[in-house]
Amino acid sequence: MNPLKLVLKELFYRKVSSLIIFVTVIAASTVFVAIYTLSKASENETRKIMREQGLNLYIFPKGTNLIDFYAVNNTPTFPENYIDTLSESKTFDAVRHLTGILQLKYPNWIDPNGSRHQIVVMGYKDEAIQRYLRKQELMGFDVPQGKVHIGALLSMNIPEGEKFKITGNDGEQYEFEIAQRLEEGKGMLDQGVAFHLDDLQKLLNMEGKINKIEALGCVCHDGRIKNARQQVQGIFPDLEVTEVSSIANARENQRQMMNKYGSFIIPFILIVAMLISALLFYSNVNSRKNEIGIMKAMGKSKLFIVLIILLKAFIIGLLGSFIGFFAGSFIAEYFGKEIFSFTAASIKPLWWLLGSSLVIFPVLWMISSWIPALLATRIDAAKTLSQE
Amino acid sequence: MLELKNITKVYTKGDDRFPALDNVTLTVERGDFIAVVGPSGSGKSTLLHTVGGLNQPDNGQVLYDSEDVYKMHSRKANLYRRKSVGFVFQQFHLIPYLTVSENIKVALDEPGSRSQKINELLEKCAMSQLQNKYPSELSVGEKQRTAFIRAIISEPDILLADEPTGNLDPENSRVLMSLINDFNKNRGTVLLVSHEVETTSFANRVITLHSGKVINK
Repeated sequence: MNPLKLVLKELFYRKVSSLIIFVTVIAASTVFVAIYTLSKASENETRKIMREQGLNLYIFPKGTNLIDFYAVNNTPTFPENYIDTLSESKTFDAVRHLTGILQLKYPNWIDPNGSRHQIVVMGYKDEAIQRYLRKQELMGFDVPQGKVHIGALLSMNIPEGEKFKITGNDGEQYEFEIAQRLEEGKGMLDQGVAFHLDDLQKLLNMEGKINKIEALGCVCHDGRIKNARQQVQGIFPDLEVTEVSSIANARENQRQMMNKYGSFIIPFILIVAMLISALLFYSNVNSRKNEIGIMKAMGKSKLFIVLIILLKAFIIGLLGSFIGFFAGSFIAEYFGKEIFSFTAASIKPLWWLLGSSLVIFPVLWMISSWIPALLATRIDAAKTLSQE
Repeated sequence: MLELKNITKVYTKGDDRFPALDNVTLTVERGDFIAVVGPSGSGKSTLLHTVGGLNQPDNGQVLYDSEDVYKMHSRKANLYRRKSVGFVFQQFHLIPYLTVSENIKVALDEPGSRSQKINELLEKCAMSQLQNKYPSELSVGEKQRTAFIRAIISEPDILLADEPTGNLDPENSRVLMSLINDFNKNRGTVLLVSHEVETTSFANRVITLHSGKVINK
């Protein structure tokens, strides 16, 4: 008789025990899929928040006093072509989105009402992406030449439609079209102006000079900051790398914690569910002693007996993981939207995970039924079928 | 065809020893109908299971066509149980989630191969109308007839019947014994264990077992 038919008929005959095993697979695969999907969502969330937070590594000339950096106007500078050298290096891969910046205090800016202010001026070089990397979305300010982005505090002092006016080191008055009025919360830029690097260098008579590179590095919990430092200093020993703590770090910590919990909870749930299933399979074998005994008496091989038990585990694993995938994806989507505001819309079922689940769970449940299957082959048919 | 040589089987429980078969020697010829009688615990079922390849003796040999059943390769031993012997038990041991015809087909390697034969046997045993019923829907007589068809569907040489009428009323007992007798008349060999004197009337030999010993052949 076709073993598949035999297994299906037995599965429906012993509905309750089959259903309990089925529920354990669904529970385990639901938890697996939900946690995995949420952990991926968390990873995306961190990435998006990092983008929001901006570049998190600063590269300065060695000896720059970071305490004074924003307060004084004479921090050390270095040639802007350092960026080109870094981006062309084939060994430099720990840092991305390299943006050369010239950032200084401008002590005597006069607003349209004639009031004097100390502001921050920043010149942004076009973002450099390493040549061997595929083109990525720009993260830094993309300020076109002849235009500026002005911070929220400055914006309050410049009426709509007016140009941004500033006096250069040569004593000349320069005018820039305001391309963007930035929202509050951009840190130093709230009281500053973002120029194209070439414009600011010309304005301050500092052609070819920058005093900072902002870049996106890893969120460096695993020693990669050390790697970034070594790579930069391997090329330019006169530069140093500083990591900027940010909310992204907190998010990254949160994500890593979630991964840590996930890497504990998923195996824990799987092992508990498999143990429960193994006990249920064992109980199932016990209740089928006569049936297995008669099969032996009819000359069915041990392989056949193992096969019908493993096949049952396979079918339950397959169906359970199918349902568990959709249940887990639904849970991840439902709760993920509450937890992750940035990536809420992109929390969708991970379809490749369906394929993986359909392989992993039938195999795991076959493993959980393995010992009961072996015990079934050792059932003493004579004892089971005997009347004496 | 079948020879049992000095078969000994002892069951133990703690320090206690229970000899189920004590140096039993028996020769069975093709077409024999042997009834094995004796009190409860005399070793009748053990003898039957030993012949059927289900219960390895502690000593002695079970020779089928001169080959020791318990020294056969597992594949050949399975084949022996599948093709050469058929079992009928007092408790029927039908598979509860299979229909009558499925319970019969489960004994076959290729279920489609003997449809004609199954139909003939169902007809002969007055079970044709019941072939799609489940064991829970059958009377005890019908269950035993299903078990009987399952036992002989592979056309075995030997039918091993362990108290086959023990749960049946006189009418069903008579029907079943008549079917077993027909099997014997068609050159089938029968080894039947029973308490009931009437069922032994079909046998050409009666063996009495007592405490695992054959006291008459």
